Amino acid sequence: MDISSLIDSLHPLEVKVLSTFVADPSAVLPTEQLAQTSGLEPSQLSMAVEWLLAKSLLTVETETVTPIVSLTKIGELYFEKYAPIEQVLSAARDAATTGKRLTIQDIQAREGLEPAEVSGAIGQLKKEGALLIVQGGCLESTGRPSPTAEAIRGLLQQLHGTTHELQAFPEAHRQIIQDHAVKRGKAKEPFRIDDRVARSFKLSAAGTEAAQQLSAQGVLEEVSQLTPELLKDGSWRTKRFRKYTISLRAPRIAPGKKHPYREFLDTVKTKLVSMGFQEMRGPLVETEFWNMDALFMPQFHPARDIHDVYFVKEPKQASSLAEPFVSRVAQAHQDGGVTGSTGWNYAFDVERARRLVLRSQGTAVSAHTLAAQPAVPGKYFSIARCFRYDQVDATHATDFFQVEGIVLGEDINFRTLLGLLNLFAREVAQAKEVKFLPAYFPFTEPSVELHVRHPKLGWMELGGAGLFRSEVTLPLGVTVPVIAWGLGLDRMAMVALGIHDIRELFTDSLELIRSTKGDF
Amino acid sequence: MPTITIFKQDLEGLLAGPGEACQSITIEQLEESLMLVKGELKGQNPDSGELRIELQDSNRPDLWCCEGIARQIRVKRQGSLAPYGFLSAKRKALKRLNVAPGMEKVRPFVAACAATGYHVTQEGLAQLIQTQEKLAEMFGRKRKTVSIGIYRLAAIEFPVVYDLVKPEKVSFTPLGMDTAMTLGEMLLVHPKGLEFGGILVGQDRLPVLRDAKQQALSFPPIINSREVGEVQVGDDALFVEVTGTDLSMVVLTLNIFAANLADRGAVIEPIAVRYPYKTSLGKTVVTPQDLKKSQKLPVSTIEQALGQTLGAKEVAKALTAYGYEVKASSKHVTVTLPLYRQDLMHAMDVVEDVAISRGYGDFLSVMPSDFTVGGLSRIEEVSDRVRTLMVGMGFQEVISNILGSPQDLRDAMRLEGTEWGQLVEVANVMSQNFSALRQWMLPSLLRVEAASNRAFYPHRLFEAGEVAKFDLKQPLGSRTVTVLGGMIAHADTHFSEIHSCVDTLFYYVNQAYSLEPIQHPSFLPGRVGAIVSEGKPIGVIGELHPEVLERWQISVPAVAFEIELTQLAERP
Repeated sequence: MDISSLIDSLHPLEVKVLSTFVADPSAVLPTEQLAQTSGLEPSQLSMAVEWLLAKSLLTVETETVTPIVSLTKIGELYFEKYAPIEQVLSAARDAATTGKRLTIQDIQAREGLEPAEVSGAIGQLKKEGALLIVQGGCLESTGRPSPTAEAIRGLLQQLHGTTHELQAFPEAHRQIIQDHAVKRGKAKEPFRIDDRVARSFKLSAAGTEAAQQLSAQGVLEEVSQLTPELLKDGSWRTKRFRKYTISLRAPRIAPGKKHPYREFLDTVKTKLVSMGFQEMRGPLVETEFWNMDALFMPQFHPARDIHDVYFVKEPKQASSLAEPFVSRVAQAHQDGGVTGSTGWNYAFDVERARRLVLRSQGTAVSAHTLAAQPAVPGKYFSIARCFRYDQVDATHATDFFQVEGIVLGEDINFRTLLGLLNLFAREVAQAKEVKFLPAYFPFTEPSVELHVRHPKLGWMELGGAGLFRSEVTLPLGVTVPVIAWGLGLDRMAMVALGIHDIRELFTDSLELIRSTKGDF
Repeated sequence: MPTITIFKQDLEGLLAGPGEACQSITIEQLEESLMLVKGELKGQNPDSGELRIELQDSNRPDLWCCEGIARQIRVKRQGSLAPYGFLSAKRKALKRLNVAPGMEKVRPFVAACAATGYHVTQEGLAQLIQTQEKLAEMFGRKRKTVSIGIYRLAAIEFPVVYDLVKPEKVSFTPLGMDTAMTLGEMLLVHPKGLEFGGILVGQDRLPVLRDAKQQALSFPPIINSREVGEVQVGDDALFVEVTGTDLSMVVLTLNIFAANLADRGAVIEPIAVRYPYKTSLGKTVVTPQDLKKSQKLPVSTIEQALGQTLGAKEVAKALTAYGYEVKASSKHVTVTLPLYRQDLMHAMDVVEDVAISRGYGDFLSVMPSDFTVGGLSRIEEVSDRVRTLMVGMGFQEVISNILGSPQDLRDAMRLEGTEWGQLVEVANVMSQNFSALRQWMLPSLLRVEAASNRAFYPHRLFEAGEVAKFDLKQPLGSRTVTVLGGMIAHADTHFSEIHSCVDTLFYYVNQAYSLEPIQHPSFLPGRVGAIVSEGKPIGVIGELHPEVLERWQISVPAVAFEIELTQLAERP
C-alpha cells in the first residue's frame, strides 16, 4: 500500500495520534503526553495506538512495569468494618475481660468468619505473641499488641479509595501487602497488586513519512458522515471524508413486496387481459348445480361423490336455484331436451342439485357467466380458488388455484380451439412446439390436451380444453359455439419459484417468503 | 379414469386378430397409437413387457382392457372393423337363461353368453379379471348398476335360472372361503358381502343364479360360487353373465366381453334370456346383441364444428376406420356404433371421433379472429391497488389456504360462541386442518407470524383475498367477500403504528372513514375499533389480545386491521 492510500485508510483517531508527532517526528512520547496532546480518552488512545502498532507506523521505545497497590472489594469492606485479624484479637481481649472461655468455633460462629480466615489470623497473632492457645483449644489474649493488625489497619486507611506504588511502602508493609494480596487460590484478600505498564513511543520510518505527509497536506479534520450542518455552513470543504471498505456485505433489509406466487399469477392475469380476456369471479361455496349439473356431469358421475368434493355442513342446501336454468339442465340430463342429445337417461334430482359444495372446479365460474348473457364474441377468464377432497402431500393440495376460461363466437370451431391453445403455449409458457392430444372432459366435445415443450421443463401438459357440449351451452341460453379451457400452471410456478413441494406455494414461513425470488 | 396393466406381447398378439401373425409395435408407435383411445402410457417394464396405461374416457368402457385398445388400433390399421359372426347366430338352438318373477324389483336385468374354443392363458385370465373389476367398479358404479360373473361352462347344465330366494334358503361355498354358507351369511361375513351388501339393503329375497341341477353359480352382485365360478388357466369353455339395473348397460357390458373373447379366438354362443316381464328389448332378449345406436347427421355439421371441409367420403372413411358402420350420401352420413359402444349422445360425439381418427395433428390451427376487450373485475382492480399501497408501506404479502381449522379460525381468536366465530364448515372432513373456510383474514396472518419467530423483525404482513362469511340470509348460506388484512409484529408495536397505515390507505383510495370503539374478543379492550365508512362498519383495527397471542404461541405484540374490499369496490 502506498503512503497516500495508507493515509486515506487511517481512522480519525489514528490521525490524531500521528498528528501529535508532527512538531517533532523524531520525538519519543510517553502515553501520558500522547493523551494530553491528542486530547483522546484513555480507551480511544489505547485503541488508536494498538492499530498504529499493528500497521507498523509506531514503535514502542521504552516499556516500564510498575506494581500498583489498591484495595479489593474485600479490602474496602475491611476498611468499613474490621479485618479478620482485628476481629479475632478483639474477641480474645473481650473474653479476657469477662473471663469467659473462648474456642475457635466460638469465634467462627460469633463473628461469621470462614475457617481459613480465622486460622490465618490466629496463626499470625500467635506468631506475634498477642495470643496463646491453651488447654482444650481455648484462646487467651496476652495483652500484647499485634504489629500486623495495626499495619493492616494503617494500610486500609492509606489505600481507601486510592492507589499507591508498591515501592512507596516500607519493606515490612510491602511484605504484609504481598501476603494479603489476591492471587490464584486466594481470592478473599484485601489488597490487589496490578502491573501498570508505562510505554513511550516513537514513529517508525513509514510513520514518519505518514506524519510528514499529513502535515504537508494540512491535517484536514476527518469526518465519517456528511451532515446538514456541514452543508449549511460549507465547512465540508475543510473536512476529509473517511473512505469506506465498500466490499463488505451489505446489511439485510426486508422490503415490502408482493408474494412470489401471487406475482406469478399476476403475470398470467396480465397476459390474459392483454389477449382480450375479461375477468370473472364466483363464490367459494357453490351448488352442485353450478359446480356439476350445469356442466353435464351426470349425478351418478364418480367424481361427484364424497371422496372427491367437500360438502357444506350447514346449511346443506341452497335456499333457491335459478330458473329457467334448472328445468332446462334437468331436461338435458334426462333426455337431452332441446339440445339434440339423448341425455343421460336417468331421473334428475333437483334436491341433489341444491346441495352446497366447496367449488371444486373453476369451470363453475364459466357456467355462471354462460347463464348471465355473456358478450358474443367474448373471452373470459378466472383465477379461481378450488377445493378437492384430497390427501395433502408434496404434489397434491386440497386448496388451490385454477386458471380457466371460455371463448364465445360464431367463428369458434375445432381449428380455432387449436389456434387459441397455440397462443397460450406461446404467451404463457414461451413454448414454440406444441402437441394436441385427444382428451376427455364431461363437458366438452371434442376435447384436447395441450402439451408444450417448455424452455426449462421439456415436454409438459399445459392445459385442457374443448368445445362446450350443446348440453352445457343451450340450457344456459348460449347458442354460439364456446371454447372451454383450463391451464395447469402450478408446475411452472414451482419451477419459477424454485420449490419442490406444492405446499410451499402457501408456506407459513416468512423467511422463505422473504428469500424466494421468482424467475419468470 | 381407470389405469390398467397390460402386457406388450399380449397386445401385439391381439393387434393381429385371431389366426393372424403377431404384429409388433414399438413404444413410440404405441404412444402415438394411444391417442386413438385417449390413453397415456404411465409406466413400463421392458423386461416383463408390462405396460401401465391410463384411459381418460369414462364413456368408453370398451377401451379399459388390452383387447379394446388393440381393437381400436387394429381397426384403424385395417381401415374398418371386421364383423363379428356371433351376431348372426341362429336363434332356435340357443341355450336359455330364465328370469324369475319379481326380479324387476330387485336387480331386473341379466345378459349372458358362452365362449368356447379359447384356451385361457395366464395373460388372458389376468385381463379377464381386470376387465371384470374395472367395469363393475367404474362403469357399473361399484357393482350397483352392473356386475359381472365368469364361470366354467362345463360344470353348468342349462337352462340357468336367475332366481329370487330367501336369504337362508340357498347356500354354497363362495370364492375365498372353504365352507358353504347361506346368502344371508355371506352378506354378514364375506368381505365382498360387507363391501357390496348395501346394494341389496331392504330386499327380503335375494338374487341367485342356479343351473338346471339347482346348483348355485353365484349370488349377484356379491360373489361367485367357488365350484363353478373360479376360472383357471387352461379352461377352454366359459360362461359369462352380467346382471344389473340398466338393460342397455348390461347388454353393452356383455357385448364387450363377447367381443374381447372373440378377439382372442373364442367362438361366442349367444344365450336367450327370457323375462316374465316386459323390457325395452322385449320379453326374450338374445345376448350379445348389437344395439346399433345410430344417427343421421349432415356432413356440414361435422365440417362446421371442425372448421374444415372434408366431404362425405372423407368423413365416412375416417369413421369406418374408427369402427363405425357408415352409410354416406352426398350431404349426410348415417353412422352406427359398433356393438361394444353406446356413447353416442350427440352429433358432437361423432365429430370428435372424426378428428381422432384423422389425428389432431391433421388439423391446421387458426387463431380466433374476433376482437374483444380484456379487463379485470372491479374487485380485482381494487384489490391490486391496495396491494400496491401495502407494499409501498413496507408490508410483505402472504398467501394462505382458505381452508383452515375451527380451532385456528375461531377458538384461537377467542371467538367461540360469537357472531364473528360462525363458520362455513365441511361435512365430510378429511383432516381437521382443512375443515372450514376462513371467515376472516387475521388467522391467516397469525399462522405466518406463529411460524416465523426466527425471521428478523419487524414483521409487516398482509394478504388480500377471499373469505366466506356465514350468512343464512344468503341463498348459499354464506357470502364470498374479498378482504384485506394487515398486521405488524415487533417488540415495540402499538395501535397508532397500524392506525397510520389504515389512515394512509384510506387517503389514497380516496374514501373517508372513522374509528368507533367496539368490544371484540380478539383484541385488547379499549384498543380496538370498528372501521366505519359511509356509515357502515367495513372493518376492524386493534391490538391483538395477549391471550390470542398466547394461543398462537406468539411472543411479540401484534397490531392488525382488516377491511372488506368488496364493500369499497361496490361504491360508484
